[in-house]
Amino acid sequence: MNKYLSILIITLLFFSCKKEEGCMDPSALNYNSEATINNGSCNYAPITNLYIHFTQTVNASPLILDSMIYTNQANDNYSVQTVRYLISDITLHTDNGTNTLLDEVHFIDISVDSTLTLNIPEIVNENYTSISFTMGLNSSKNVTNLFLNENFFPSFSWPELLGGGYHYMQLEGDFNTVFNGYATHTGGTNGIDFSFNKTFPLEINTTNNIRDIYINMEITNWYHSPEILNFTTDGIMGDLNSQTILQANGIEDVFSVYY
Amino acid sequence: MKSSSYTLLGMLLLLALACKKDLAPLSGCTDDIATNYNPNAIIDNGSCNYFSPTPFIIQTPTGFPNMNIPSNNPMTVEGVALGERLFKDPILSADNTQACINCHQQVSSFSDPNQFSTGIDNIQGFRNASALINIGWNNSLNWDGSAATLEKQAFEPVVNPIEMHDTWPNVENKLNANAEYIQLFKEAFNIDYIDSTHVVMAIAQFERTLISVNSKFDKYLRGEELLTPSEFSGYAIFNSEKGDCFHCHGTQMFMDNSFHNNGLDIEPFLDLGLGKVTGNASDNGKFKTPTLRNIEFSAPYMHDGRFSSIEEVIEHYNSGGNYSSTVDPLMKKLGIGLQLTNQEKQDLIAFLKTLSDDNFISK
Repeated sequence: MNKYLSILIITLLFFSCKKEEGCMDPSALNYNSEATINNGSCNYAPITNLYIHFTQTVNASPLILDSMIYTNQANDNYSVQTVRYLISDITLHTDNGTNTLLDEVHFIDISVDSTLTLNIPEIVNENYTSISFTMGLNSSKNVTNLFLNENFFPSFSWPELLGGGYHYMQLEGDFNTVFNGYATHTGGTNGIDFSFNKTFPLEINTTNNIRDIYINMEITNWYHSPEILNFTTDGIMGDLNSQTILQANGIEDVFSVYY
Repeated sequence: MKSSSYTLLGMLLLLALACKKDLAPLSGCTDDIATNYNPNAIIDNGSCNYFSPTPFIIQTPTGFPNMNIPSNNPMTVEGVALGERLFKDPILSADNTQACINCHQQVSSFSDPNQFSTGIDNIQGFRNASALINIGWNNSLNWDGSAATLEKQAFEPVVNPIEMHDTWPNVENKLNANAEYIQLFKEAFNIDYIDSTHVVMAIAQFERTLISVNSKFDKYLRGEELLTPSEFSGYAIFNSEKGDCFHCHGTQMFMDNSFHNNGLDIEPFLDLGLGKVTGNASDNGKFKTPTLRNIEFSAPYMHDGRFSSIEEVIEHYNSGGNYSSTVDPLMKKLGIGLQLTNQEKQDLIAFLKTLSDDNFISK
């Protein structure tokens, strides 16, 4: 009797002490509830249907078109009628240095709803901790005839005589009276690259279920900080000074990312 | 007795004939997708011919995107030739007096030198007939963008009461009574009955071949010719924001595939243009940007042909245009305008004339 009992106890002890190896993350496809040692074997479903939303604000409120209700820091009243821009090299990064390119070039035209959201059907599961993108096109991309079959051709072309390539942005409206139009057009000018890169922290991973990322453009901020830029009825496409100011103001605080 | 022997003879003859058919099965092409498929044939004798029109290759010119050719209407040599013939044939009009080419004349870069075209019933339209040049790269057709494709566009003038005023059933009857057309449609599309769908497909194929990329300016870009100082000065004005022509007439297409209100009129608009098509008030007064290629030959200008010369067009922009709620923000100095000097205007016109392609209007 005693003999049997000891065998039973020993057997039970033996089983309870066996350390099972496996994936211990309940969100993994191969989660092993019996595992007591995480052996790094976890497989995760890919992250699906990530949405990058491109939003535009003036003074932190959603943009209202075609109405001269805004005032910039140079005390010009202005309306906004056209907002079109290129965001390129939209990339997610992880802490261990892997990069996932979401889109090479994305054209946003606020009058075309389908351009306001970029859907990424599927990316590999990773712990993404930041997003970066380029405002405009860097000089390797900003080449005449490179994007002939994209939806921003021909309207975004930048004349050869002014350096070629493409506009980065066409921000247009009226200022002070409806008879005065402004055209804040940025782009590589006379061979100088005015695009700039921005990086923002975020958290996209298999467990937090964050799938909507918002990249906001604060329109007013193009015109001040660090430097005030006045509206003009003359163009600024060949004007290196204006392009330099817009680049600096753009880098400062035009873009923000929330999720 | 006599009559029964005749009956017997007759029956024997019938039997012989019937037997002949049975004993020697008809040979021919038995493949039902072949052009000479014989449904009575039982033995295939290897004679099948298949529909294989000759592809018509369009080389994409430098600086142009790929032409958007509908997958259900591939370009063929046979289709293009048929389309050209239809384009020039008054058979499409009710009284057989008017062809497409009457209002899209080649010497005028396939447009109408008259401000408004006159239909078969002597009724005038209210817009200037568009030039048909590099039209295969247009994302939509007509000044108001009302037709999405060349095929859809070609349905309209034939039945428009103020244009060719025919009916499609009537056109189909006329074409199907014409042995030559039956043969040509067979070769181009492998159809036995000519219908309106294939008429417009052929016309659209022909229109896609109306390509002009051999102007003096093209030769300049290819390094084959030089611009004069005046032409080059005009080129620079065109591509500066002082002239600011390029935002709408940019690239080697010299159009932006878009719609603008360029400040021609104050409100209310007599012609709503794009707004009539979309129903959006914000599109009122907007019209399709035409290419400036061959602009020297395609007078008069604007959707309603209001300007008879390039000089008048430049003067419009030079004086700044009129305010309306939908005027393009790129008309940046309304009522003031570009303020070009006389020399600058002449230079601009000299440049615009480098976009002329004589071969296109004569060959």
